Amino acid sequence: MKPISFSYYRPKSLAEALDILAQEEEAKVIAGGQSLVPLMNFRLSRPKTLVDINGLRELAAVEADGGVLRIGALVRHQELLAHPLVVQHFPALAAAAAEIGHWAIRTRGTIGGSLVHADPAAELPAATVAHRGVLVLTSAHGERRVDADAFFYGYLMTDIAPDELLTAVELPLPSGVRYGFAEHARRPGDFALAGAFVEVAEAGHAGAVTWFGVGGRPDRQEMELSPDAASRGRQFAAALAELDGPEDEVEARYRRQLAAVAAEQAYQRAIASGRGN
Amino acid sequence: MMQGPLKPQFTGARVTRLEDARLLRGRGRYLDDIDVPGTLHVAFVRSNRPAARIVSIDVEEALAVPGVYTVWTAEDCGITMYTERYDVGQPVLAKDEVRFVGEAVAAVFAEDRYVAEDAAERVRVVYHPLPPVLGFDEALSDEGRRVHAHRANLFHHTEHQTEGFAEAFASAPHRAQATFVTHRQTGVPMEPRGCMAQLDAATGRLTVYVSHQSPHQFRSQLTELLQMPENQIRVIVPEVGGAFGIKAMLYPEYLVVADAARRLGRPVKWVSDRTESLLADAHARDNRHEVEVAFDEEGRILAVRDHVFGDTGAYPFLGFPGAVGEAGWATSMLTGPYKIPHVSITVDCVFSNKAPEGAYRGVGGPVGAQVQEGIVDLVARHLGKDAADVRRVNFIRDEDFPYQTATGNVYDPGSYAESMEQALALIDYERFRREQAELRRQGRYLGIGICTFVEPSAGAESEAGSTPYEAASIRIEPTGTVTAALGLGPSGQGHETTMAQLIADQLGVDVKDVVVMHGDTDSAPFGGGTGGSRSGTIGGGAALRASQEMRQRLMKLAAHLLEAAEEDVELVDGHAQVKGVPARAYSVRDLARIAYTDVARLPEGMQPGLEVVVRYQPPLSTTYSNGTHVALVEVDTQTGFVRVLDYVVVNDCGRLINPMIVEGQIHGGVAQGIGSAFLEELRYDDSGQLVTTSLMDYLLPAATDVPRMRVTHIETPSANVGGFKGMGEGSLIAAPPALAGAVSDALAPFGVFVTEIPVHPQQILEWVQGRVHSA
Repeated sequence: MKPISFSYYRPKSLAEALDILAQEEEAKVIAGGQSLVPLMNFRLSRPKTLVDINGLRELAAVEADGGVLRIGALVRHQELLAHPLVVQHFPALAAAAAEIGHWAIRTRGTIGGSLVHADPAAELPAATVAHRGVLVLTSAHGERRVDADAFFYGYLMTDIAPDELLTAVELPLPSGVRYGFAEHARRPGDFALAGAFVEVAEAGHAGAVTWFGVGGRPDRQEMELSPDAASRGRQFAAALAELDGPEDEVEARYRRQLAAVAAEQAYQRAIASGRGN
Repeated sequence: MMQGPLKPQFTGARVTRLEDARLLRGRGRYLDDIDVPGTLHVAFVRSNRPAARIVSIDVEEALAVPGVYTVWTAEDCGITMYTERYDVGQPVLAKDEVRFVGEAVAAVFAEDRYVAEDAAERVRVVYHPLPPVLGFDEALSDEGRRVHAHRANLFHHTEHQTEGFAEAFASAPHRAQATFVTHRQTGVPMEPRGCMAQLDAATGRLTVYVSHQSPHQFRSQLTELLQMPENQIRVIVPEVGGAFGIKAMLYPEYLVVADAARRLGRPVKWVSDRTESLLADAHARDNRHEVEVAFDEEGRILAVRDHVFGDTGAYPFLGFPGAVGEAGWATSMLTGPYKIPHVSITVDCVFSNKAPEGAYRGVGGPVGAQVQEGIVDLVARHLGKDAADVRRVNFIRDEDFPYQTATGNVYDPGSYAESMEQALALIDYERFRREQAELRRQGRYLGIGICTFVEPSAGAESEAGSTPYEAASIRIEPTGTVTAALGLGPSGQGHETTMAQLIADQLGVDVKDVVVMHGDTDSAPFGGGTGGSRSGTIGGGAALRASQEMRQRLMKLAAHLLEAAEEDVELVDGHAQVKGVPARAYSVRDLARIAYTDVARLPEGMQPGLEVVVRYQPPLSTTYSNGTHVALVEVDTQTGFVRVLDYVVVNDCGRLINPMIVEGQIHGGVAQGIGSAFLEELRYDDSGQLVTTSLMDYLLPAATDVPRMRVTHIETPSANVGGFKGMGEGSLIAAPPALAGAVSDALAPFGVFVTEIPVHPQQILEWVQGRVHSA
């Protein structure tokens, strides 16, 4: 359980990091290393070059600007879940970040790493899709912005190019909507078996559910959310039936059931967060 | 137990573990901490096929990797671990054929493990696949392929039936049947297995470091397989970070490492990684019990029929084919704490193309207890009776001891019924039953499971081998401190503390003045090691006997010096004095100095020095500890998750040496029981690949899964010296049935009766949503 040999760079500036990514074949960016290092030790990931961005402090900021919260790629989960701006504007995101792994994992793992790794059972890709975030991808040729919904292709696959670095994610500050989050994992700290973010309008029944853990990527479905629990349950079940689940029939049924339970809890939390204010 | 002049100060007390000062500070020195310059590191090429002929192995490309010293295959190291009884040998590196995924095929020796793994990837093995044999039925079928071409897959078959069984069974008013299945699990010690060997250039002796439970047994096996004289091999077992039975086995990797060290003339080291551990550590629990039970109106069990199937995997471990050990224990203890007069037992153990099975804490105990408690719960459900009441009807009572079971065991006295009554009182059983009914009306499903276990301990034979005694040497140094050495192989149980407690009390010294050593065959006396819950009882007995003998020496010397009769001398607080006259005293320190350096003052006939070696063999071939576990769980019928809300244990392991250490063992066993019941499963897919090769897939209980538990003690002493009974395994024997029973109880309204562990949440939802019916 040892990685293959690799070259290691620790650039001092963003420009230097992007130059290395442009020049080196089969380079991988390392930040917290919480997904990449195990994969390398299993030799499932075999990068020839690692570009360590931990020195790029400019990627570690959280700032609100013009109706958008910009979260640097290097922000650790533990910072995210406690950051006043996140807690104030995105309580569901803060709640989800608190469910990632364990404390030691959260102090190392970064939002950028989680988004680029794109595990279908991970919280932050789903949170970014749920909040209609935009990913900022930077390369030596410039910057491009991709909607979260378009960024995630499927299991561990995204739109990022080999020479690009995810530098930040931008989330529009919510207005007139509330969010709730819930997930179910086998043991606390495990990847979720299934989970959901639910978005409800403060007026009317308009809403959306972002599912994760069921299909190969987070899925956001807009729907009118019935105020009646039984009807909502049927809505959730119908929505989930449209997603591709795991191949095994029992497992697929189980994941959908857990996702529906999570969505109902997330819905209740979204409603309750309104009452709390 | 402590008759004589001494009042025990340490025995029975919650003495803080002497080991913890180093262990908790991270200063323990484990196998991987042994770092010798010039060491070659090994990476094994392992089979990725469950069954295949080896067509060719090409090592050229691997040898060309810079830093690679050499690569071995079966042609280079032809040692075979052969079991005559079944006529099956396991080559330490696969020869001609591979028989399970993870079997070592080649060994790469390199400057470091990174290079070794790089080269291991470049060893080209061409396989001709064979159809794998993956289950009992397949192994036993006439059409099934033979795992070992020269012999049948069925390698162990026994039948035992009590006189009059057929009539008792046929004439019983009621009968019920169930099939109990336990899936593959393993011990998962925090420290993986490992081995390091080096030849002493000066003497030609081979030193082998190994993370193991039985240093002397390991040396004997090396002696035989390497064909070296015993005194040319020194085995050193450093700190061991958990063992749980799996480290009592002899593994092929160790022989490759030891053979390479002697033939390559370089130190050689291999430490298992977690994937290798899950692939090739001893697996366990792959059992099926087809059970029928006959009983009367009161719930009295009259007869039990059990047909056991055990899958031992591809090879028998030397001296301990796991399936045989498991089926043997499970069926021998099938009647547990109950007076069941008749049994009919059939055992069939087979080879398959899965990893070899060996010992894991409790061996067949958890499986047997699952059956034993399962049938009682089954009877209760059939008759509509309370599960505790059916137990009360069947318990062996105090007046029945010594009790001979229908399976041929003779139980020494225990506290079966009393332990259950105390446990039920602790959990407030009657109140729970009322609350349970109320909560069910609210849609909440809580349940209680009970397991009253009987643990055969300190047996003459176990996975630690057939050494029915243990050895202790005790030396009082010239300055009066005490050094003891035992043949045990602890892996975290705290022997350095418990043995020191026993010795300190006998010698009247402080527990901190006693150093207990183990694990080095050059200094420890030949002993059986640790396994089968033998260390506290047999090892403790040896420590006690040796220190008693030493005490006699001290008393005799003191009496001579004090010019008093021996019976008038007592040992108190590090001094030998004339009874009640502290003024007339010699300190142990003075006595030691005189014994070594002022030998003219010794009584006639007394040898200089203070050193004894004693071997203790208990009078009973087995002593049976017991206790009751009661688990209270809630099943979430929306998610299928089970939460353990409360857990009580009433334990009886005879006289306690250190209650804190006993409770620690119980906490750990219950945690493993939670893993067994709900989380842990080594899963092979239909093609014979192990799909649980990391701890992301093989789920262990985490701190959040383990409830606070309440443990109390009953002390029914054994006839062994000290009155001790072993207790290392009872908690893992009792926990899985208690937890599974609690799920059955919680989901009784859905007709659920759990017969298969681990219980997965998917399964629970299939049951409560009525798609699948349990037994």
